[in-house]
Parts: sequence; C-alpha cells; structure tokens
Amino acid sequence: MTDQEIIALWEAGQQERAFNEIVRNYSERLYWHVRRFVCSHEDTDDLLQEIFIKIWAALPSFRGEAQLFTWLYRIATNETLNYLRKQKVRASLRFQSLDAEMERRIDEDPYFNGTEAQRLLTKAIARLPEKQRIVFSLRYYEEMKYEDIAAITGTSVGALKASYHIAYEKLKAEFQDLV
Amino acid sequence: MNQKQLHNVPEGYFENLQTRLSAIPQQHSAVTPWVRMRPYLAMAAAFAAMVVGGTALLRSTARPASVLSDEALYSYAQLIPRTDPYMIYDENAQAEESYSEEDIINYLIETGVSLELLAYEADY
Repeated sequence: MTDQEIIALWEAGQQERAFNEIVRNYSERLYWHVRRFVCSHEDTDDLLQEIFIKIWAALPSFRGEAQLFTWLYRIATNETLNYLRKQKVRASLRFQSLDAEMERRIDEDPYFNGTEAQRLLTKAIARLPEKQRIVFSLRYYEEMKYEDIAAITGTSVGALKASYHIAYEKLKAEFQDLV
Repeated sequence: MNQKQLHNVPEGYFENLQTRLSAIPQQHSAVTPWVRMRPYLAMAAAFAAMVVGGTALLRSTARPASVLSDEALYSYAQLIPRTDPYMIYDENAQAEESYSEEDIINYLIETGVSLELLAYEADY
C-alpha cells in the first residue's frame, strides 16, 4: 500500500488499519535506521516500540504537508537522538564516554555479521558528530535523496552535502591511518 | 543479503515485531489535543484554586486596623522597629493638638531666630 493510500485510509476513519499499514511498510526500515545509531538489538527494539507509540499519538496531527515517509523518519530520528543524548548524560555521570560505550556494544554485538573492516567502519561512523552521522547513515546505507534527508532533518540540501563530504573525508582519513 | 546490511536479527523477529506494534492502538487510545492539554489545565486550575482559597482565608481571618484599641495599638508600636517608638505617640498627639501663631513665634525666639526675620514673618 502506498503512503497516499495509507493517508486516505486514515482520513476515511480507518485509523487502526492505516496504522497497521504503516507498521507493515515501515517497521523494518525504521528498525535498521535506529539500529545503526543505537548499536544494540535490545535497545533498538525498546526504542522502536516508543517510536511507534509516538507515531500513533501524533498521527491525528499529521496534516499531509510533508510526505508520510519523511514524517515517520523525522519522528524516529528525533527519538533516537533523544535516546543518545540521555545515554551520553548517563555515561558522563558515570565518568565514562558514550563513544567508548558504543565501541564496546559494537565489539560485543552477537548479531554483527560483517567483516572486520565493516566493524571498524561502524565504529568510525559512531564517532561522527550527530548531523554528519545522520546524513552519512541515510545517504550511504539507505541511499536516500538529499531532498528527503533535508525534509527529515530540517537542514538545507547544501549544508547536508557539506556535512556528508566532511564525514566522508573523516572516515577516509581514519582508514588511511589504519592501512 | 544487502552488502551494507551488517547485522542480523533473531529468527522471526520482524513478524513478532509487527504483531506487537499492531497492538499499540488498542493499548494507547489516540491522544486528542484535549487529552494532551489536560495535565496543564489541571495544574492551572489547582493554582487558581490556591489563589482564590488563600485570598478568602486571609480576608476571613484578617481584622481591620480600626478595630484595634489604643492599648493594642501602643503594644504594636513597641514591636515596630523604629528608631524612636514614641514617635507613634507623637503622631497621635499631633492629630489632637494645634499650635497658635503665638506658640510658633515663641518657639522661633527660643531657638534664636533674628528679630528682622520675625518681623518679616509677622507681616505676611
């Protein structure tokens, strides 16, 4: 079912069916989107539950000015960033760094099935600043258009291209150091 | 498998996830603006009730100043942190007494004011 058909269902008063179609179309995509930031299957699962509760609560206020998919990604991204900020505060209260915690998660992840180079890439992406990490993740892994990323993040296409370029150069430099 | 897909998930995870997420509408009824605003409205109502209740309580317990007797007024005067508590009594005395022009002139003479100035004051 397309996004337009889902919105039409919602407007026709079939809210639960519309929501179930969103779950069917987007739960897996949003799982992978969140997973790349959170670096833990269990935390992603918990966070995804929260995200879909937020989506259900916010759906009555969806006016259709944005595309449904960018609107859903925006909620998921904001919730994920909030989660990471809370983790950062918790880590600092324990005199630890979130980067170190993320590296530990990546190293100990039982569901990781990539190569060692891919593990290093995942760690390097986890160290990127927030905005660079978002744009790199959506562009590289999900091959999303800059215009869509701009709608999700509320940033201009030009700024996103610059952020992606900086992120790419940082990652390239890290790998050159390793080789 | 997608080359960029670096993780896997437990067997049957996404089917289970969809089932759990589809149960959200039954567990969480849609939040209307009224429901979202309800806690804030409750807080505002509680604050307004406290202000109204507090004002009513103060009005019912406070006594107007005119009800106080002279004796009570003097007792209060002792409690007021002023340099000279007897100034309170002086203020009351001033309200009762009035000074004649003769009294004023006598006072000025006692305090050493010149005769020229007194004559000038007397003309006006």
